[in-house]
Amino acid sequence: MTATKRPSAIPAAVVGVAAGAVATLTVLVMVQVAVANAKERLTTPEAQKPQVAVAADAEVAYCTPRFKQVLERVLHSCGLVGGEGGRRGCQPSDVKTFASISDEDFNELFTPLKDRGGVVLYDEGKDDLDEKAKKLLEDMWFERKGARYFFVVARASKSGSVDKNRALSHRRANSVMYYLKDVAKDPEIEKTVGLLWLGNEFAQLSKDYCTWNSSRPDSKCNDDSVNRSAFVSWVDCRL
Amino acid sequence: MSGQSSRVPSVLSLVGSVLGLLFASYSTLDYAHHLDRRLHEVHCSFIPGAPATSEGEACRAAMYSSYSAVMRDSLWGGIPIALFALGAFAFFAGFSVYLTLARGRSSRASHAFFAIVSITPLIVSLIMFTISVTKLGSLCKTCVGTYIASALLAAGGVSGWIAARRSAADLGTGGDASRPDGNPLMAAFWLFVLGAVTILPAGVYAASAPDHRPYLNQCGELRKPEDPSSALLKFRGTNPVQAALFFEDPLCPTCKAFHERLKGEQVIEKFDATLALFPLDSSCNWMLDNPLHPGSCTLSKAILCAKGQTRQILDWAFDNQVELAAAGKQGDNAMKAAIQRKWGASMVTCIDSKDTKVLLNKHLHFAADNGVPVSTPQVYLGTRRICDEDTDLGLRYTLKQLAPEVLK
Repeated sequence: MTATKRPSAIPAAVVGVAAGAVATLTVLVMVQVAVANAKERLTTPEAQKPQVAVAADAEVAYCTPRFKQVLERVLHSCGLVGGEGGRRGCQPSDVKTFASISDEDFNELFTPLKDRGGVVLYDEGKDDLDEKAKKLLEDMWFERKGARYFFVVARASKSGSVDKNRALSHRRANSVMYYLKDVAKDPEIEKTVGLLWLGNEFAQLSKDYCTWNSSRPDSKCNDDSVNRSAFVSWVDCRL
Repeated sequence: MSGQSSRVPSVLSLVGSVLGLLFASYSTLDYAHHLDRRLHEVHCSFIPGAPATSEGEACRAAMYSSYSAVMRDSLWGGIPIALFALGAFAFFAGFSVYLTLARGRSSRASHAFFAIVSITPLIVSLIMFTISVTKLGSLCKTCVGTYIASALLAAGGVSGWIAARRSAADLGTGGDASRPDGNPLMAAFWLFVLGAVTILPAGVYAASAPDHRPYLNQCGELRKPEDPSSALLKFRGTNPVQAALFFEDPLCPTCKAFHERLKGEQVIEKFDATLALFPLDSSCNWMLDNPLHPGSCTLSKAILCAKGQTRQILDWAFDNQVELAAAGKQGDNAMKAAIQRKWGASMVTCIDSKDTKVLLNKHLHFAADNGVPVSTPQVYLGTRRICDEDTDLGLRYTLKQLAPEVLK
């Protein structure tokens, strides 16, 4: 009977340990390199950092530099911006001074607002809002979307004295403001609505404006009646 | 079992170990890439090394979840558990090589040891699988690859042990008389080695990971935090200790995932939260040219209408986000019908009211006033904006640094 020598497992163990060690070392190097690379990227500014849009007020095509310039002047001069507790609104002389613009050019600026705004029409010598005027105002007001400012440009027709018409257009602007305050119940409204009253002295509307969205679409419209009005519109410009 | 067939279990273990190493490597690399605080695609395939795609949302959800890493309080992103898998699979690979080469010369004790420890990755995989199904609601392919690798490893380890036991039982009938019993003390030594190798990659990772503290405050502040018309919504947790503001879109999947993370981290109840709705839907949000989440404006209005139930309706919207998003794509009427089924006809009346329209508009103007990025979710602690990357991987670390009381 010959004693058989039991084969050794040591060579297999050595190879196994070596394989395990190589695998572990590879893992450690991989982890170290991956973290080191991330660390380097962290401290190196991205060459092309993805741009993220920033929330802002709406800005549409009609917001030309000239339009914005006039609006900015209105905002600053008529108490909307930086005028806490100060006067509210602009009268004809103010507009003439700060706008530095002709009547036609002033009206031209507002032409792109034809589809956005509306014309509230009044009876002669009156500043009361009828039901259709109220509805138009509400429709306009609740379609704010991304606009920051709401403009009210009140006028009076040629009939009557300059002083009387200036006061009348002021009352018309205020009638809009009071109604909006009533329906909107917005504590920010004072900083949102810009009031301009032009009497019959500046930027009278031509009868072309009779085709605009108005509170009395079925009534007779002419150069006189279209100026017994308050043009109202949100303005979708970043100022 | 003898001859060539005795190699099958150890080869199976070796295949499982190598596969496990590969899948764990990709998980680890995905994690490590994000340490640079940038956005990266995530590997998500049953084929190890398949190119990263933008469709790896299930893997991203798993990676961002609170279950994918440990020590998230003390290290940005924590230590990914894939690192422990890496070390363990490296050990198992080496041991499998030994068993494959040694064949009948390997001891019974080594087989018994290997059988026991080879089951541990499978146990962890079963736990993670359960979490994926019950908590995350999705299965990440790379994770499933690791589960399969763990199953192969366990199958090889256990079947090898059974084969070794059978050879012992066959001793009396001419079985494998040459297989030694082995020294049980060696098992303790190998257990120690397994433990050391398992934690070693995690140690290297933790020691070399960058310090993120200087970056936490670099994402800006609210310009105009006041809400004079009290338009924003409030939802206080049961134990509020930190004021926070969330900009959210109820149809945004990332917002849903963020809420689930807040719940998973058990911190949502610690916030005295204000909610600013920011639907990424151009039907009400002028900041977008196209609707990213159609129907989101209508759903946001429903949230505004659910006075006193903000948390409930938000949870409902997130829980049913897939169905609601589908309804939104069908159109406004489908969305309103889905809302009505749960919340009644009066809710739809409220959605259509002018007041609700104005209220939602105020939320959007609040975002515009503050010049926040057009993306959701956004989180502010007080007035300080939390960077996007700190709301996912780095959430717990960031809270620990900026609002530690939330984690107490």
